[in-house]
Amino acid sequence: MENENEFTGADILLKALKDQEVDTIFGYPGGAVLPIYDAIFGQNFLKHVLVRQEAGAVHAAEGYARSSGKVGVLLVTSGPGVTNVVTGLTDALMDSIPIVCISGQVPSHLIGTDAFQECDTTGITRPCTKHNYLVKDVNKLSETIHEAFKIASSGRPGPVLIDIPKDVQFAKSKYIPKKDISFKEHRIKAGSKNVDKSFVQELVNHIKKSERPIFYVGGGCLNSGPQASQELIKLVNKTNIPITTTLHGLGCFPGEDKSSLGMLGMHGNYEANLAMNKCDLMINVGARFDDRVTGRLDAFSPDSVKFHIDIDQSSINKNVKVNFHTNTDITLTLKEINSFIESNNIELEKKDYTNWWGQINDWRKKECLHYEQGDEIIKPQHAISRLYDLTSHKDTFITTEVGQHQMWAAQYYKFSKPNRWITSGGLGTMGFGMPAAVGAQMANPDSLVIDIAGEASFLMNIQEIATAVQYKLPIKIFILNNEYMGMVRQWQELLHGSRYSESYVDALPDFKKLAESFNAVGVRAKNISELDDAINEMVSIDRPVIADIWVDKKENCFPMIPSGAAHHEMLLSKYDKENPENQEKGKVLV
Amino acid sequence: MSSTSVYPTPINAFKQSKRSVLSIIVDNEPGILARIVGLFSGRGYNIEALNVTVVDIKNNLSRITIETLGEEKVISQIIAQLEKLVPVHSATNLANLSESYEAEICLVKIEFDNNEQDQKILNFADIYRSRTVQKRQNIVVYEISGTSERINKFLDDLNTIGGIKVELVRSGPIGLGI
Repeated sequence: MENENEFTGADILLKALKDQEVDTIFGYPGGAVLPIYDAIFGQNFLKHVLVRQEAGAVHAAEGYARSSGKVGVLLVTSGPGVTNVVTGLTDALMDSIPIVCISGQVPSHLIGTDAFQECDTTGITRPCTKHNYLVKDVNKLSETIHEAFKIASSGRPGPVLIDIPKDVQFAKSKYIPKKDISFKEHRIKAGSKNVDKSFVQELVNHIKKSERPIFYVGGGCLNSGPQASQELIKLVNKTNIPITTTLHGLGCFPGEDKSSLGMLGMHGNYEANLAMNKCDLMINVGARFDDRVTGRLDAFSPDSVKFHIDIDQSSINKNVKVNFHTNTDITLTLKEINSFIESNNIELEKKDYTNWWGQINDWRKKECLHYEQGDEIIKPQHAISRLYDLTSHKDTFITTEVGQHQMWAAQYYKFSKPNRWITSGGLGTMGFGMPAAVGAQMANPDSLVIDIAGEASFLMNIQEIATAVQYKLPIKIFILNNEYMGMVRQWQELLHGSRYSESYVDALPDFKKLAESFNAVGVRAKNISELDDAINEMVSIDRPVIADIWVDKKENCFPMIPSGAAHHEMLLSKYDKENPENQEKGKVLV
Repeated sequence: MSSTSVYPTPINAFKQSKRSVLSIIVDNEPGILARIVGLFSGRGYNIEALNVTVVDIKNNLSRITIETLGEEKVISQIIAQLEKLVPVHSATNLANLSESYEAEICLVKIEFDNNEQDQKILNFADIYRSRTVQKRQNIVVYEISGTSERINKFLDDLNTIGGIKVELVRSGPIGLGI
């Protein structure tokens, strides 16, 4: 007789997903996951989004997670199904995005026999996940899934993979609900729950003493939750300290606010990088001193006392030595700083850093983001500026691909809320943006979701247009089409004597016709007079739209700190010449 | 305050490298050794020696001991990276403890031709208090334990004897803090 309390592995998986309040899963079926797909067929709590290639599933799950704050989930088959998600798992690991990937595996008795569509999934994905599992015993399935979700979303978030052999999907066991599982603390690594009061005190003392302080805020602030952003805004307003954010920190603090210096780093604002270089107190909130941010390390912010708040112990003193650090969650720490200032009646308002702001405003006068828009050819910067002007009144989510367009988007699109900006930072994955937009639109069905793209990146995952069409996801793909791999071309111009080796994208498709062939809508702007109409048309259509915006082919992304240069050695335009010594050293870096 | 250059001078890095013995307590589960070894190779750290065995059957714990070389900054980063691995309970640099003890075990097989060599071998074996595991006509197997340094010295001394053939296996250091 069948035991009513026993379920197949596939059913246990679905029960666990329901228990975890998962309502959307991105996936692609195959032989080793058929029992799970069979279970998906007979239920209605879980919406399955069929992607066109597994890479699309993993980026969609990332986009879903980033835009919702929830864990993104995907389901792929064994062998090529899972090897196709390796890039996306690495991307999620680099950018601390919580996702859970379920992969099918050949039946246990075939593991190790080089069976059809077999690969060493846990071996291949070990270095590109926060953790992974091969579940050989159906009795361990429930707790493995619940632990996977816990690990993906705790501490510094990241991707977790669960590999389930086909026989385990058929085997039967009891289901253990989430509430009945006691997690082992050493495995979850959630970070300290106790605020380090001496850190807070030390920081406030330094704020009181400092003359040139700056907040340097990264993606950790985003991952700590929307409350972190609220506490940050409160603290910045209270102290009048300038704030710069990393690529992933955009949106944690309103980009239009007077205290915001915008993004820092390789293509960051002049005032932000100069302020980092000259500050006497640096307060790092959830950023990791990435090489794109620091420039040449031995000249990085030489005169500052550095405070670092990061839940990941390994981010402390990895690239830059700091004076004080804490591994407690950012929300808790910022809250404590705010209440410490309030309860001790520390009047920081009086300290308005007049000289420091005077200096910063002088740097601002350089207008590092200035560009000359003529009356014919569209400047890519202008395209983004107009996109911002024409969409900022809506609750807009922006995803990007990777390259020049990504940096222009970061520079010219301003974000006022967290989780509205979804981009591949650490890994720099071309082809990320469109599937990420699919994920973001699934999580936010009523919002405007735009993938700011380059034509080269867009071609890398173009198949996902079909996904958007199938699920009636009205995502917009805003292509800054310059017929080049723009960033590659820019580096070749600056570092390799303008020898444009293989960076011209020849034989491009007609994106308008291509959209139509997918049953999406294509719009195009060839010159400045057509730009606003194209944007307005794109936004007004309630279907997936590809907007092909023809931009200046030779435009470069400035400001720029060339690789191997320091913050104060940035180039503001093509007329600035790089120090040749730096150029030779920079050439060998990435 | 000093920040480090992205252009490290290899010679300096080598000079500042020092030997550390790391003691790591982990859940004994499939793949844990691969995780740790992969972390070392993936991030370009050195493994000079490695030892792993279950030490607590009831709680399913293993202890992994790794001898590594690196600057202090690198060693702290290794510890921090190790502690991020889910099955890792703790990672300790024994050099940072106020008191710790190390030991290593080595089996040495020596083939010799004549009495003179035999006498010299016996002499060293006696000085280092190594235990005879097996002795045949012209082959002797010793077991010697102690710090790695002590074993190194024993092997150096053996090598001063000409014409003998030495084959050996070493466990790598293990250590405990107090």
